[in-house]
Amino acid sequence: MRNNGWIEEAWRLAVVLAGGALMGVLFGHVLGVTLAVLALYTLSHLYHVRRFINWMDDPLNKDMPIQYGIWGDVYAKISRLLNAQVQRERRLNILLKQFQSSAAALPDAVVALGTSDEIRWANEAAQDLLGLRLPGDYGRPLANLFRTPAFQQFLSRRDFSQTLELAAPGNDAQRLSLRAVHYGKNQLLIIVQNVTDRYRVERIRRDFVANVSHELRTPLTVISGFVENMQADGDLCPAPWRKPLALISEQTARMQHIVEDLLLLARLEGGEKNLRQESVDMAAMLGMLAEEARLLAGRDIAVSVNIESGWHLEADPGLLRSAISNLVVNAVHHTPPGGEIVLHWVDEPNASCVVVEDTGEGIAPEHIPRLTERFYRVDNGRSRERGGTGLGLAIVKHILQVHEGRLEIASTPGEGSQFICRFPARLRAQPAGQLAQVPGVEDNYAQSNR
Amino acid sequence: MDQSDLKHHYSQRFNADLESLRTKVLEMGGVVEQQLEKSIESLKQSEIELAELVVANDYQVNAYDVQIDELCTNIIALRQPTASDLRLVLTVIKTTADLERIGDEAKRVARMAIRAAKSEPGPNLYLRIEHLGDQVRQMLHRVLDAFARMDVDEAIQVAHEDKRIDREYESIMRQSMTYMMEDPRSIPLLMDIIWSARALERIGDRCCNISEYIIYFVKGKDVRHTSLEQIQKEFGE
Repeated sequence: MRNNGWIEEAWRLAVVLAGGALMGVLFGHVLGVTLAVLALYTLSHLYHVRRFINWMDDPLNKDMPIQYGIWGDVYAKISRLLNAQVQRERRLNILLKQFQSSAAALPDAVVALGTSDEIRWANEAAQDLLGLRLPGDYGRPLANLFRTPAFQQFLSRRDFSQTLELAAPGNDAQRLSLRAVHYGKNQLLIIVQNVTDRYRVERIRRDFVANVSHELRTPLTVISGFVENMQADGDLCPAPWRKPLALISEQTARMQHIVEDLLLLARLEGGEKNLRQESVDMAAMLGMLAEEARLLAGRDIAVSVNIESGWHLEADPGLLRSAISNLVVNAVHHTPPGGEIVLHWVDEPNASCVVVEDTGEGIAPEHIPRLTERFYRVDNGRSRERGGTGLGLAIVKHILQVHEGRLEIASTPGEGSQFICRFPARLRAQPAGQLAQVPGVEDNYAQSNR
Repeated sequence: MDQSDLKHHYSQRFNADLESLRTKVLEMGGVVEQQLEKSIESLKQSEIELAELVVANDYQVNAYDVQIDELCTNIIALRQPTASDLRLVLTVIKTTADLERIGDEAKRVARMAIRAAKSEPGPNLYLRIEHLGDQVRQMLHRVLDAFARMDVDEAIQVAHEDKRIDREYESIMRQSMTYMMEDPRSIPLLMDIIWSARALERIGDRCCNISEYIIYFVKGKDVRHTSLEQIQKEFGE
């Protein structure tokens, strides 16, 4: 097949040359006539080139002008290539359609954003949840239609390690949870889930715990008040009742603590609205906490402070203090006499950390992930003896969360533990006197100045 | 070839400038929407702290206003826009002015919320105010969506919405007056409520203005001070 065209062409050339030579002999000008014939031959090829170029404008719909000779081979090969490509395109199209229809059927909204955050593609759920209108909104920046400032910040910060929860645009009743994933080159996939039901259930649970705790408060106050009265009149109180009364008052106090802690937790979980933002001098705070720890621990445990960072921290001072204090009290409880506790304030490239380090008995690795659960106890009997409520670390975790920080725990059984409170670098503040900042709104302003 | 390339490059950057201008306005719109939402919420729940936050955050809206004006000045000075580009810049200047005023009205509502929360409890008109507030919020949201899409039909519909808001405002006024006549002691609180309602009603008017600018941008015709029916006859579907 492959050589047929060439053989045919060779024959044709031979016939043309022979014919030219013959005519030359007849007319007496062998060279001249042969050259003229050759020139005609070349012209015919040029003509074919022209037809070929014409054909190439729309090769799929035009018929091949020639089926034979070397030109026929050229046309056949190109046609074969084109057909293969058409086939491939068709197959890809089918695949793409299948993919898009399956993505369109997803219950979660999916939006693909291009390099300048414009909407490239979105599925049906995105129209309902985000109020997009497709296909009219393709090419429009998503931030133009989804204008909630929290989302704008989320998008411009380019830190997609966490999900963002917020009310749906134009519809407060719906709660959305939003995640973003990088894909391809500088492209983003935004996945939005409707979490209205979960949010409602969560809120009912939270409100329930808060209400119960609140309701328990009053009876507890009454009980503890009367018990105190009974104990105060030492003479009137019959001797056999003294021990039980002491126990009652002890347990009531414990219950009051639990109720207070539960209320604080409920408040933190509800996304504390009235978070104060102040520049906190960490060196001073850690110094004070160390002093308290010394009082609590007595002379047997060495407590020291190690300040390496010069930053202040933008945080709610009361909450921050109670979080670190919780960690310090834990450390004191779990460090045997002769041990050592160190409070660090250190910088990392993208964070500043408070580290509470002790040389206590340490925590077995299987307990570490569950430590921050409510009422989780490593050793049931012992921690209760010490009067803990079992909510301390849960509170620490939530306090850090409302500050966008994280609690990490590292421990080697027998050697000691490290409780690391990691705060993102954007919470760093200049020590007072260097730069005045307006509380709570720096982020927005920085963004608007971008 | 080179020159047209340069032209192409230049116009591309110009387009990017205009696009970022639009994005900035909508960003500002998002902040204003949030301010309005929070101020209504604070009035509804008598949350003084939330209201104070709204008052304190108003400077953000003002900062946007100044910044966008500056961007517009730059574009006019450096690029001398014409036709629809010029209309866009003008639309943006007018829209930001109205958005800034809406921010001020939201601040006013928040101020009233602070005062109402501190004063004696009186007749409960909050439900009515809440209803009005939700309508106004919807309106602002829709007009900003229309701005993002430059959607004339939507803009006309939003302008229609204003009639309902006016009716709601009038009925709050009438109700307040009856309460005032019944019990003059409730006048201070009711005045605060009337002021808030008034501020919300003004926001509705400003949303109407913005929808007129949208029509101006898309159709190239100034429809301010024209009746709604006429606008609809000319540009509606």
